[in-house]
Amino acid sequence: MITKNITLFLTILFISISAMAQDFPYGKVDNKALEMKKYDKDTSAHAVVLQEYGSSRIALTNDYDLRITFEYHAKIKFFDNKEFDSQGTVVVPVYGNGNSYEDVQEIRGITFYKDDNGLIQAAELDPKKVFRVQDNKHWSTLKFAMPALRSGCVIEINYKVVSPYIYNFHSWNFQSNIPKVNSEYEVHIPGFWSYNASLKGSLKLTKNSATVERKCFTFGIANADCSDIVYGISDVPAFIEEDYMTAEKNFKSAINFELEEETNLNNGAKTKYSKEWKDIDYLLKGDNSFGSQLKRKDLMKERIMPLIVNKTDELEKASAIYTYIKNTIKWNERNEAGSDDGIRKALDNHTGSSGDINLALVTALNSAGIRTEAVLLSTRANGTLNNLYPNLFDFNYVIAKGNIGDKSYFLDATDQLLPFGMLPLRCLNDKGRVFSLDKPSYWIDMITEQREKVICNAELTLQVNGKLKGTITRFSIGYSSYLRRKEIKKFNTVDEYVENFNSKLPKVKILKSSITNLDSLDMPLGEIYEIELDAADNLNHEHFKFNPFFMNWITTNPFKLAERDFPVDWGMPSDERSVFIIHLPAQYIFENPPQNMAFAMPNQGGKFLTSYDSRDNTFTFSNVTQFNKSVYGPEEYPYLKELYNKIILSEKNEMVFKKK
Amino acid sequence: MKRITLILCLLLPGIISTAQNNYDASLIPKDLLLYASAVVRNEEVTTEVKDLDNVIHRVKRAITVLNKNGDDIAHIVVRYDKNIVIKYIKGSSYNEFGKLIGKFGERDFEDESAISNSSLFEDDRVKHYIPAITQYPYTIEYEYELKYKQTLYFEDWTPNPTTGLAVEKSSYVFICNPDFNIRYKELNFPVKVVTGNNKYGLKTYSWEINNMKAIKDEPLSPEWNLYLTRVIVAPEKFAYGNITGSFNNWKEMGKWEYDKLLSDRTDVPSQTAEYIKELTANIADPKLKAKKIYEYMQQKTHYISIQVGIGGFQPFLASDVDKLNYGDCKALVNYTRSLLKVVNIDSYYCLVYGNHKEKISMLRDFASMQGNHVILCIPFKNDTTWLECTSQTKPFGFLSDFTDDRIVLACTPDGGKLMHTPKYTTEENLEKRKASFIINDAGELTGDMETVFKGTDYDDREWIIDDSPAERVRDIKRIYPINNLEIDKLVLKQDKSQRPVTTEDIKLSARDYGSVSDGKFSFTLNSVKRRIGLYQTRNRVKPVNINRGHTEEDEITYTLPKGYHLVSDPLKVSIDKPFGNFTAVMTLSGDQLVYKRKLQIRDGTYSKDTYQDLVDFYQTVVDADGYNVALVKN
Repeated sequence: MITKNITLFLTILFISISAMAQDFPYGKVDNKALEMKKYDKDTSAHAVVLQEYGSSRIALTNDYDLRITFEYHAKIKFFDNKEFDSQGTVVVPVYGNGNSYEDVQEIRGITFYKDDNGLIQAAELDPKKVFRVQDNKHWSTLKFAMPALRSGCVIEINYKVVSPYIYNFHSWNFQSNIPKVNSEYEVHIPGFWSYNASLKGSLKLTKNSATVERKCFTFGIANADCSDIVYGISDVPAFIEEDYMTAEKNFKSAINFELEEETNLNNGAKTKYSKEWKDIDYLLKGDNSFGSQLKRKDLMKERIMPLIVNKTDELEKASAIYTYIKNTIKWNERNEAGSDDGIRKALDNHTGSSGDINLALVTALNSAGIRTEAVLLSTRANGTLNNLYPNLFDFNYVIAKGNIGDKSYFLDATDQLLPFGMLPLRCLNDKGRVFSLDKPSYWIDMITEQREKVICNAELTLQVNGKLKGTITRFSIGYSSYLRRKEIKKFNTVDEYVENFNSKLPKVKILKSSITNLDSLDMPLGEIYEIELDAADNLNHEHFKFNPFFMNWITTNPFKLAERDFPVDWGMPSDERSVFIIHLPAQYIFENPPQNMAFAMPNQGGKFLTSYDSRDNTFTFSNVTQFNKSVYGPEEYPYLKELYNKIILSEKNEMVFKKK
Repeated sequence: MKRITLILCLLLPGIISTAQNNYDASLIPKDLLLYASAVVRNEEVTTEVKDLDNVIHRVKRAITVLNKNGDDIAHIVVRYDKNIVIKYIKGSSYNEFGKLIGKFGERDFEDESAISNSSLFEDDRVKHYIPAITQYPYTIEYEYELKYKQTLYFEDWTPNPTTGLAVEKSSYVFICNPDFNIRYKELNFPVKVVTGNNKYGLKTYSWEINNMKAIKDEPLSPEWNLYLTRVIVAPEKFAYGNITGSFNNWKEMGKWEYDKLLSDRTDVPSQTAEYIKELTANIADPKLKAKKIYEYMQQKTHYISIQVGIGGFQPFLASDVDKLNYGDCKALVNYTRSLLKVVNIDSYYCLVYGNHKEKISMLRDFASMQGNHVILCIPFKNDTTWLECTSQTKPFGFLSDFTDDRIVLACTPDGGKLMHTPKYTTEENLEKRKASFIINDAGELTGDMETVFKGTDYDDREWIIDDSPAERVRDIKRIYPINNLEIDKLVLKQDKSQRPVTTEDIKLSARDYGSVSDGKFSFTLNSVKRRIGLYQTRNRVKPVNINRGHTEEDEITYTLPKGYHLVSDPLKVSIDKPFGNFTAVMTLSGDQLVYKRKLQIRDGTYSKDTYQDLVDFYQTVVDADGYNVALVKN
């Protein structure tokens, strides 16, 4: 990640006045573009952005209202009709609240094409065919479909979004799912404001120039120079998604801005927005949706006192409070880093966002004397944080960090099935920033000890009628126990779960089942099945056969690519092991004892082992699959792929029993 | 079309309750708890026609939610648009013991656009409310009233629309003036309507149902029309915006649609008309003319859903589509019809239920606003041809599995006509594969494979055909169950005739396909198409429905490594059942191993007991598909 500070009041290095970006003229097309049959740099592209130019300018309107005007202008070539839906229909989301709103202006579009007689025609977008839909309270969408699209056409789109939200400076996506010949973004910022800019993705800027325009912004007697900066990348390749990667936006090339400082136009007072963490700490402490909520200990006290009155152990107290919050406020599936309407409302309505729920939890724990901090984070889908300069807007989630004795526990009360101290996968991303009312904030890695762990034991006896009878026990431990409980709770009853589990194992009849610790969230979840498994071989009645991988069969390698550009990110390590003990009747033997297999990834990254052992007429087959890391880089990918290859190879070893 | 949204969104709304109701969860009859996540305790739905442009639809409903899975059922969604006004919504919630714990009103509802992502514009909106109660079971009781400014259609009554929901009691009352005549259709309704008059002298039609068990999700279920309880009411005379009309049967309904919604919408600009004439001037055969025009339409237009104007029932003008090059199904069918008209080819605008999974027909004996899609029919003599106009790629005359084999309504100048779209038979739906592979003594598989897809299978590779070579290879690797598959060459060809064929040619390799150890060598004989089994179920309730037949034929020749001999018993399986047949045979001569497999599944409705036979049948297939060839070094 590259960071550029846009320093405005200081002297800016003049690169060259002539380096200023220029928007390209609207409404012109050359025959070459219409004749283009493919894009040489990516011959498989169905469309290519020929030119793309955007600009954001801060300026005053005639009524002296301050606005950021974002202008978008693009020219796109279609080689066929595959990208009509994604590129030929334009969607502009706009935000508004009761008092102010973003406004889309001067929408224009034009489609150039060769008509049935080979003549160049231009069809203009009819402004009446631009639709506005109010999606919900704050968001609406402007949508329009470009007219007269046909294979080979070139479209041009141009519009402006005028926004009163100075703190929300338009970011720019250099990369999308189609390639671009050139993409440029010009920002024009008067010295009263300064922003931090950060570049994401692996592409390098091919153009980056800055110029200063003297006294370009005047408000009463105040005036300032403006800085005009151009960011550009040429030959931007299409972005191709890979499986098991985290948020696309972690990898797509884009530039983002955050307001750093603002000078009051009336009195010249400077407001720093997020210069340093201590500024953010100060800001958060006073924030109605954050710090103020953490101070509402009295609100929580009356609710939690009855829960802990007889408890002396801090961990017990914390656990009781955690359970209370989980059972009192239902998560509305919204990720928020703060509590917009306050935790009282969430408590009263029994519903709230992650911010409402977990800030209530932090406050409740503190009110019980358990020192608890709030951890702001960004969920996996929201992408990684920019941790080069302080930025509050990257966070979209908050959890609690309860400190008990010399241990600390990450707590998220959004899901009733989460055990104390376990986080849902969405939170296991990058870093978190730990806040409390009385200490400076600090970073913490969002890494926990939790892992997925499953242990499966089976002891089966082959009957002379070809049925394997016995018991299979599966223990789901750690994160796996949470996942398994979620799976079970999808059914109305445990019985329905077992029925469903059985329905996927056609050769198995479950005679009896029991599930242990379903509601004891801190304990491993046990499933015990008494089963009868049909080992008959339809093709050879002399044989019986059995495949110990029957419960979790992997058909093909999940990793298909020869190599990857992006890491495989599973969020946490995993460990799966099983032991099968099989007793054979005296007259039967095990025909094809498998070879032991062992495959280990470098640096203890993971392993797959099988081992076989026999004594008298009893044999034992065990296997272990272990992934010790949460994230595997592209250089480790071949080993990951090979590990799966080994699993699949060993799955092929069906066990065959035959009469002596 | 709009109706499908209505059906999907409004299946849930329902009815009654008064203060005396006791919502103690323990009072729910035990047999209603089986497979239920929620139980409708009481529901009263009333539709009252006050005038042709004033219909009051009242829903009162109490639902007890038994566990988290029932939360979605308790989610209240009220759809409205500029023709539907919400008069009021209110409700209360109760705990497990039936004690009142809270109340809510319209201000607690969130207001959102109900527009689907694929749509450019719709004026549909919803108000919705999610009860936030963390202790189960709980009950919510709510009531709302809608005013409809039209009488063209009424909301259906479907008391038990979703799996996991049982119904203790539900009723539907339709109220109208004595001179307002209706027709109604009872589907899967065990009792009869009760008619009468209320105290104001208005006609009433009442339906009531009690103690319906939750419907279980079962594989291979019949289409929902055949088992969901539903009552549909249709008017004799109606008003919709400024259009009025009446119909009692499909003929009249189609006539009304033709005259009021479709006429005067077919003019195309003279330039286009001239171009079409020129384009087809040298073609004598009308069918080939039509084909040329269809292909012109395909390359010129693309599909965009827009629901404006007369409630989404009337197509855009053909001249608009000509200018914009886009439209929804109605607009594109109307446009194609208009272009055909230029060269004097008549065609019918046909209403249909489009659905890939279920073949849903128009109800033969009950005319009402049905269907969710429009296709075009050209009634060539003895050669009726059907066109899907929203696709840029479908071959002329090919409907595919979205609209095949079902009853549709054709709107003709002489009135509506029910027609049946073509069926693709078990034999026609063919996936036929021929491969020649070499396995070397390191276990590596290499070779060539050709697959042809016919019938509805023609579409099997449609989703990747226009992708880039790299994307195609990535996706093909996901299709075939060959581990370590590498694709050295991939060619996809389409023969876009009326009986279209897709051909896939692959040159492939896969290391470690066979496992080698200690002079033993084994590999899975069926490398290309392995079945997964069918779920077992307990106490099957619904009959088995296989709605489309299908044939798979594979022939693979393996050249085996030298110096090995076979130790496994050769594969030889053959079964024949009413619903299908399967054979898998291998023969070995020298180092040439030939594997032949044929699987045929026949469409039809079979008794519920057949399900276990099907499970066993598929298990035999799965076992045979998993057969391993075992070789040992000489």
